[in-house]
Amino acid sequence: MFGYQNKVLRIDLTKKGIKIEPLNMAWAEKYIGGKGLAIKYLYEELKPGIDPLSPDNKLLLMTGPLTGTPVPCSGKLSVASKSPATGTILDCSIGGHIALKVKYAGYDAIIFEGKLNKPGYVLIRDDKIEFKDAAELWGKGSHEVEGILVGKYGHEASVLSIGPAGENLVTMSCINSDYYRQAGRGGIGAVMGSKNVKAIVVIGTGGVKVDKILDVTNRLTEILRTDTLSDDNMFIYDCGTTAFLEACNDGGILPKNNFSDATDEDWTKYNGEVLLASKVGKRGCGSCGLGCGNFIKIGDAICEGPEYESIAVAGPNAGNSDPESIVKANQVADDMGLDTISAGDTIIFAMEMTEKGIHDFGIKFGDKEKYIEYLKLMARREGVGADLALGVRALAAKYGGEDFAMHVKGLEYPQYEPRGSWGMSLAYAVSDRGACHMRAYAPNEEVFAASIPPYTAEGKGEMVYNLAIYNAVKFSMILCDFWPLGLDRMTEIMTMITGREWTEAEMNAVAERVINIARAFNQREGFNRKDDTMPKRIANEALKSGAAAGQKIPQEAFEDMLDQYYSVLGWSKDGMVPENILCQL
Amino acid sequence: MKVTISLRGHLIKQFGGEQERVVEIPENTTAEEALQAIGVDWRTARNFGFVAINSHKVLITAQLKDGDQLKAYPKISGG
Repeated sequence: MFGYQNKVLRIDLTKKGIKIEPLNMAWAEKYIGGKGLAIKYLYEELKPGIDPLSPDNKLLLMTGPLTGTPVPCSGKLSVASKSPATGTILDCSIGGHIALKVKYAGYDAIIFEGKLNKPGYVLIRDDKIEFKDAAELWGKGSHEVEGILVGKYGHEASVLSIGPAGENLVTMSCINSDYYRQAGRGGIGAVMGSKNVKAIVVIGTGGVKVDKILDVTNRLTEILRTDTLSDDNMFIYDCGTTAFLEACNDGGILPKNNFSDATDEDWTKYNGEVLLASKVGKRGCGSCGLGCGNFIKIGDAICEGPEYESIAVAGPNAGNSDPESIVKANQVADDMGLDTISAGDTIIFAMEMTEKGIHDFGIKFGDKEKYIEYLKLMARREGVGADLALGVRALAAKYGGEDFAMHVKGLEYPQYEPRGSWGMSLAYAVSDRGACHMRAYAPNEEVFAASIPPYTAEGKGEMVYNLAIYNAVKFSMILCDFWPLGLDRMTEIMTMITGREWTEAEMNAVAERVINIARAFNQREGFNRKDDTMPKRIANEALKSGAAAGQKIPQEAFEDMLDQYYSVLGWSKDGMVPENILCQL
Repeated sequence: MKVTISLRGHLIKQFGGEQERVVEIPENTTAEEALQAIGVDWRTARNFGFVAINSHKVLITAQLKDGDQLKAYPKISGG
């Protein structure tokens, strides 16, 4: 098939050796690339039960057939491993330009194995691979490291780097690229840190072959103009994800004070209008048409974003309405190499623990300066940060507060309150990497479209299944989620780029296979229905204000949704993938 | 009675690019009827999302009161 380089670069960090091998095209036919193909490789190559922070784990960078082509919104890279936060499979999607560089260097995928004997970075210049010493980079923030490496190798170089959090194996650490783009969740930065890899620098000077280039270019120009850059999507260019703030507040799903409520009367103090008034720059990822990135500068605080998730957790969910501190929290978390969602959720959990007198972490709702200070302490495991670096699940086990510990499988909750969108509780519960909003985005149907009643279990199994199918195929082609293209368009693009006829039925089959193999990976690690959970707060406490006031999700309704979802996928009552499906993966 | 109608996203084209207008409508008008009065039919408008009265999402059949703010959103997606 066109679009692929047919090459995998395997890097043995322990022996400082490399091997180039053909991409398994039989697997590519079944899983396409990105999320799906990355999980397939890890499913086949990782022994069950390995320690995610040991040299036995692998760090995998996976592109897809569209990467490096002019297909709009195709500039993302899947970064996958076994999660040190949850013990589940973990795939993240990072923007910027790194995916294109990997592809132009000649590879569909790069697999890192083993561990360097001392801190280093890996320099990949097409087919030339070098292992460099990182003694002078170790301990530095991600932003400084990227500046040094781009200064050294030029702007043609793209960099993946970790901050102090990744070095210190904090299980909520991320990998950064282009300064403000992240493979954010599940402790993927700690996997890189556990391998003593501070950075990966990629310079790629090649190209990608597609079928019938002139036809492809002409058709993609038309698609870009009529489908990507449509009126419907321009809010992404104009506002980025700040647009979600108002909609979430009005929809009753904007969390406040560690998910105690789901609307905030102060939302106009930090909304998109306020933040975008301080816009100082604009940018998009490689091959992007939408360009969602807005640089916001308030006082000495600057970041690309902040995105909805980062605003909500450092803002209303932390009892804070000061936009400068929200931007600063984003900037510091990125530089320290921390996932803004998990790190923020941990701090707000500590705020509630302190306010309720369960354990004094020395921080309360509204302590905006301490929020920023605590991020630095967590990344370095210093002072109170040593405890907070454990994350919500471990803190609740150690000190109490289970009633308001907001996580699934040890991954902290994203910032879409499920009591206002019941399907979201199911989506968080069955997500393959713990609580994640990117596996099935229920507010699309239950809140923003109002096409499905939000406060009922009825039909939610099928709804979440359909949303998960859509994202599984999209993230395996590895397209950005901001382009809401239909399955028909995805099928057309796959056919156009690869030169092999794809059907919508095949694409759906790929998606279902991806969901199943991710579940099979987790099943092999001992996960089943008992782990598909909902925090007690969601079941026991009704929301106090907003559109969803009075709502909570009864446990029996949640169990009903789980039953429905398992049934649609043909899984057992206990949430297990049966043998007849396993043998086809 | 007077209500403020605020439009979001591409719907602002209906107001020539302005975000909101104060409009005069009869008592007991619903959100649906108020939008129809300004030329927006939620059934046929492209990519119509939801409505909120005074920042609370409501059904399209909800009734407005004097001084209310009615917001109409297009469907948004992403994460």
